[in-house]
Amino acid sequence: MRSRPFILLLLGLLALPACERPAPVDTPLNLAVPLGLPPLPVPPENPLTQARIDLGRTLFMDRRLSHNNTLSCAMCHVPEQGFTSNELGTAIGLEGQSIRRNSPTIYNVAYVEQLFHDGREFSLENQAWGPLLAGNEMANPSIGYVVEKIKALPEYAGRFEQAFGGRGPDVQTIGQALAAYQRTLVSANSRFDRWRYGKDADALAAEERTGFRLFAGKAGCSACHSVDERHALFSDNRFHNTGIGFANSMGLPKKHRVQLAPGVFVEVEDKALASFEPPQPDVGRYEVTLDPADSWAYRTPSLRNVALTAPYMHDGSLATLEEVIEFYDRGGIDNPQKSPLLRPLGLAPEEKRALAAFLKSLTGDNVEKRVAEARAAQPGEMPPEKDPASAYRRSY
Amino acid sequence: MKKSVRAAGRPRQLAMALAVSAALAGAPTFADETSCSPFTPLIKGQEDLVYVWTLGVKGVGDGSDKLVTVDVNPASKTYGKILHKLSLGGRGEVHHVGLSDDRRYLWGGALDSNKIYIFDIGTNPAKPKLVKTITDFVQKTGFVGPHSFIAMPGRMLITPLSNNKDHGGETGIAVYNNKGDYVSHQAMPKGESASWSGKGDGYNYDVGINPQKNVFLTSSFTGWNNYMMDLGKMVKDGEAMKRFGNTSVMWDMKTMKPLKVFSTPGAPLEVRWSWKPGDNWAVTTAALTSKIWVYKQDAKGEWQAHEVGTIGNPADIPLPVDISITNDGKGMWINTFMDGHTRYWDFSDPMKPKEVYKKKIGSQVNMVSQSYDGKRVYFTSSLLGNWDKKGKDDEQYLKIYDWDGKELKEKLSIDFYKEKLGRAHHMKFQARDLSTLKPLETAQSLPAVVARKQ
Repeated sequence: MRSRPFILLLLGLLALPACERPAPVDTPLNLAVPLGLPPLPVPPENPLTQARIDLGRTLFMDRRLSHNNTLSCAMCHVPEQGFTSNELGTAIGLEGQSIRRNSPTIYNVAYVEQLFHDGREFSLENQAWGPLLAGNEMANPSIGYVVEKIKALPEYAGRFEQAFGGRGPDVQTIGQALAAYQRTLVSANSRFDRWRYGKDADALAAEERTGFRLFAGKAGCSACHSVDERHALFSDNRFHNTGIGFANSMGLPKKHRVQLAPGVFVEVEDKALASFEPPQPDVGRYEVTLDPADSWAYRTPSLRNVALTAPYMHDGSLATLEEVIEFYDRGGIDNPQKSPLLRPLGLAPEEKRALAAFLKSLTGDNVEKRVAEARAAQPGEMPPEKDPASAYRRSY
Repeated sequence: MKKSVRAAGRPRQLAMALAVSAALAGAPTFADETSCSPFTPLIKGQEDLVYVWTLGVKGVGDGSDKLVTVDVNPASKTYGKILHKLSLGGRGEVHHVGLSDDRRYLWGGALDSNKIYIFDIGTNPAKPKLVKTITDFVQKTGFVGPHSFIAMPGRMLITPLSNNKDHGGETGIAVYNNKGDYVSHQAMPKGESASWSGKGDGYNYDVGINPQKNVFLTSSFTGWNNYMMDLGKMVKDGEAMKRFGNTSVMWDMKTMKPLKVFSTPGAPLEVRWSWKPGDNWAVTTAALTSKIWVYKQDAKGEWQAHEVGTIGNPADIPLPVDISITNDGKGMWINTFMDGHTRYWDFSDPMKPKEVYKKKIGSQVNMVSQSYDGKRVYFTSSLLGNWDKKGKDDEQYLKIYDWDGKELKEKLSIDFYKEKLGRAHHMKFQARDLSTLKPLETAQSLPAVVARKQ
């Protein structure tokens, strides 16, 4: 397989001569964006620098960023599991508290305009504080508590100051460092990209090409999972109601097929689980906009690396791509706010197979590198000797 | 800790091998006192105290985990009273405890905080004192969820449940010395290898030792993601339910190398060996498939796992949890968490055990410990903080029954919520007078026994 050139994007304010020595860690970087992705959006107030990226990576991997030192960002967005969790439908947080939704992958999260499944946050810098402070996620008691804790961890001594021009950890720099790292998690140059944008006719097999034609044609997938002429995000960054959220909220009677061991299943009715936690209500995008029309609508996820990011849908209720295709072939689940884009598709079995084959061609070529980078961060495990709240003394 | 330990400072593997070799020579067979290590001195007569490792519950008392000491000697003036409550000042999903090789220290683990607490229960058994908190378990091993603590000579063998990379079920096994210092760790067998037979899944849970055969057996459960999750939510989560252990592993005790991986599907949990002289079999029960597995050597001396029974109706997921084998290996209590029952199984023929008695203990029941003579059977209620039932079914108790071979008769019950304690979990017995205990110095004293008058 021949190599393909990357699209180089000037991300910073300074262009450095090629012969110059490696840029200082606080110099804005030129980041190579893989084939198939559009220019990387970077807010001017948080230019990408190596120091910020490295710092953000360490923070992302650090379990001590949760109140009881057990959960890092990476425990729900596991590098080896497509930066999501393949092992859970919906996540759990501090002390095992229930979270309503599936951990979304953060591959290519730089391109997401409104973050979280319901789009309640608008920048990665601000989004970072959501999980840090949510009582059922990392459950820190306050912004100040997180700031003081990071200040007390020796592994971060001087690193914020180096990355932010002498400025230490605070509400802004912590968010900026985490955002800087996550923004670099671009992944593309998949076989599909090399076929469509790199003009490598052999990069996709015939069945995969058929799958793409269905994707953009009869199956109508690209109506939401956008593919443009020069690049593809595989998301319209909008919100749609497929009916899954509606069915969950309406408590339609369910029998659950429960695996007891490989190949051993039983059916369990909801009433048999009445002694345990009831499902939590979730009305989707409505919870942000308070517009009834947005009820049970969730953000269209990108399909890049989708073969790595099972299980699927906002609640992780579909285990395989084949199940997802079957779901959409049925036209979703009817409800008053269902997206008009969903309708029964009447796909033939070979068409479903072709669609699945196509989706599996969307894995970026840098996945192993991204995983290795994340694991190289090696944050410490030992919490501060004194609780940050106990140690805090006003310094002014 | 003052009373430390003999092999500290020697090369690790060598020290372990020497210590175990010394212990093996001429070691007699002794009966099981619930789930003790064979290297731990046993209480053969009336136990004086029971320690209950108790999970803190938000809104109950101080909300913190505790070691609760209860007087359980009927001859005592304070019988049935809570003698001591040692609050740990936080919640960390405490789970199991284990006795040191001299029975003077109790190690307790927390599956969420990963802290390991060492209590002095020798100086004043009625008033345990926290003497060390191990906080480097994850840092040293990369493992999460220290679960079982089984004493080896001068050592504590620790089986964790998870890891700090993804909170899944792949984990390992770790060794600390009696001072509470890290010694070694290794991964559980995964996949196939020339070094062992069978196919490992990398999971772990409990460990049981058979020094006479120079082996120990480990079982497998699930990772942090699942054991910390609400049980009802987990059962409905198709991906989560795929992440349970389906194996058990026989190890060479001296070298700590895996010998054979058995396919025992559906989360085989507690491991018990029959300590009846001449017996060389172990037993586990699989939580999800409700199967009983017996591990026995065949005519060629190779260890084999046999499915020998089914507990309740597996389709109802009765969830067999803790077990307690009698000292002669002829009977075993099996608790089923979901229906709150304990079941007595006749193991006269371990290859054909049968259920002969069943009694409801509460809305939920998890741990069971019987006295050495089998006449007293202790039950507690909590399985895991988020697996316990909610609402009115969330009973939390310690209950003691008398067992005459035919009927369990309730003798004592303590409501752990009413007492503002929390969720009652693992139990260990203790004697007030440990003067008859002998440290593990020679093969002849292994294991020493607290032979007390009935």
